[in-house]
Amino acid sequence: MRRRRRFLDLTFWGLALLAFVCIALPSLSIVGSVIHQAVPVLGWSLFTQRTNALGIENAILGSLLLLVGVLVVAGTIGVAGGVYLAEFAPARLQRFLRFFSDVLAGMPSIVVGYIGYVTLVVAFHWGFSLLAAVVALSVLVLPYIVKTTEVSFRQVPTTLREAAAGLGLPRSKTVWRILLPPAASGVISGLIVALAISTGELAPLLFTAGFSDQNPTLQLLHHQVPYLTSVTFTDLALPGARAHATAAAAAAVSLAIVVILIAAGRLMTVRARRATRGMAL
Amino acid sequence: MTELPSIRVGPSRSPASGPQEDKLPSSEPSVSDPAEVEATHGPSVFRVENLFFYYGDHLALRDITLDIRPREITSLIGPSGCGKTTFIRCLNRLNDLIPGTRLEGRVEFDGESLYGPDVRAIELRRRIGMVFQKPNPFPKSIYENVALAPRMNRMKGNLDDVVEESLVRAALWDEVKDKLRASAFSLSGGQQQRLCIARAIAVRPEVILMDEPCSALDPVATFRIEELMEDLKNDYTIVIVTHNMQQAARVSDRTAFFTVDTSQGGRTGVMVEIGATSKIFTAPSDQRTEDYITGRFG
Repeated sequence: MRRRRRFLDLTFWGLALLAFVCIALPSLSIVGSVIHQAVPVLGWSLFTQRTNALGIENAILGSLLLLVGVLVVAGTIGVAGGVYLAEFAPARLQRFLRFFSDVLAGMPSIVVGYIGYVTLVVAFHWGFSLLAAVVALSVLVLPYIVKTTEVSFRQVPTTLREAAAGLGLPRSKTVWRILLPPAASGVISGLIVALAISTGELAPLLFTAGFSDQNPTLQLLHHQVPYLTSVTFTDLALPGARAHATAAAAAAVSLAIVVILIAAGRLMTVRARRATRGMAL
Repeated sequence: MTELPSIRVGPSRSPASGPQEDKLPSSEPSVSDPAEVEATHGPSVFRVENLFFYYGDHLALRDITLDIRPREITSLIGPSGCGKTTFIRCLNRLNDLIPGTRLEGRVEFDGESLYGPDVRAIELRRRIGMVFQKPNPFPKSIYENVALAPRMNRMKGNLDDVVEESLVRAALWDEVKDKLRASAFSLSGGQQQRLCIARAIAVRPEVILMDEPCSALDPVATFRIEELMEDLKNDYTIVIVTHNMQQAARVSDRTAFFTVDTSQGGRTGVMVEIGATSKIFTAPSDQRTEDYITGRFG
């Protein structure tokens, strides 16, 4: 009996270890090989030269600009939508909205890009532009933000809502002052995931952002925007070791952005949690 | 246990004696004539007439008629599931938060219909404070818990004074005055509940509704809350739901006994009788009340 238990114990640990290796090994090997391949071009010139001079400065700036745009557009609409679903929407409307949110979440990104091209770029005459790209990316990540915001608000105990109602606080102030602080860590995590997805997307941008060897401007319309995933995509298709290295460098910088986003998100959620520590949930 | 010497024990706390004894003769009829009550107590704070309450199709309360008098403690007792909590939440329209609920009948607060078409529940709840079963302070500092509602409601006066006054009133000031910026969760359960009372008082309500305020507290903390209620009674009308019959007997002036009625299918709460606490506990007029208070049921 004792040997059997020991055997089961070891088997379980073995399986857990195997699962860990299955997750860790591919991630580490991807990160390692991307950095390794990028070595020939790594250096300051990568960040100070633009893509016409074998750097990726313009693509980095473009990607960061797109992230800010997504944070503003999808962040605002998504958080507001999630709060509305969790706190205000009547039951029937909730089901309706959730259905469409789920449909949107399942939409292939290439379809989002194509629809963005047909409507925004062509029909609205926006051209390949910052606004078209931000809208396409936002549509793609909106369901994540809505979902995580809604779930975070639903997890806040009803007793807090009742306490606030019992004091005669209006619903809007209750949401803002009472419910948001405990929900904040979840909301932030959702935003971070959305930004991380945006960083890695290519398909919706192919049809909406265009590309440019110039640094991006704040012009919303008719000015094409360079971005990192496009560098990876196009340079890999070019002949020559240097182009391939540049592609890898762009991928490495994308990875770095994602890592920094996740780290920043962790930092913020830890702070948010500390504020509500000890709350009986 | 520094607070123990201050505990008053014995007859002074029993409902059969104490200052309110002569006001409330035990011969009072269990269903009072409103005109007569008004003459001795002033107008009722709440007047509930033929209240029916539904969760969806389920009838939770049937035909409740009672009065809540000013500056008295009215306790609602009865077995689990008899609708005490549902009823007390009708008094500040907190059930509005639950989708699919419906109320029929009339509830008057200060002579005006509580469920009238142009009554704003939010403004109304500022006049009717509530303390809940489990202490539910906001995840904020002690100070902020009390100051939040007065600040948002743009009440006049110095906020620091309001906070101090409310905490003093809730008998918590001495314990927290040096750590007002500490998290409310650093307090013990009993202190948290008194903080919730301070938070309710800070809005300057006319009524305080208490839904089993001591059910999560130990006897010492319970005692402090009861002591506090006696003190608050001078300025506020208090309605308390309690599972603890001794508590009802100790603190309240009037007691309403609710029970579960299954005779018409489903479990529906009904009120059996209401009367002076001393009478309900010594000479109830209904057999069901007697069975309950003598422990033969529930």
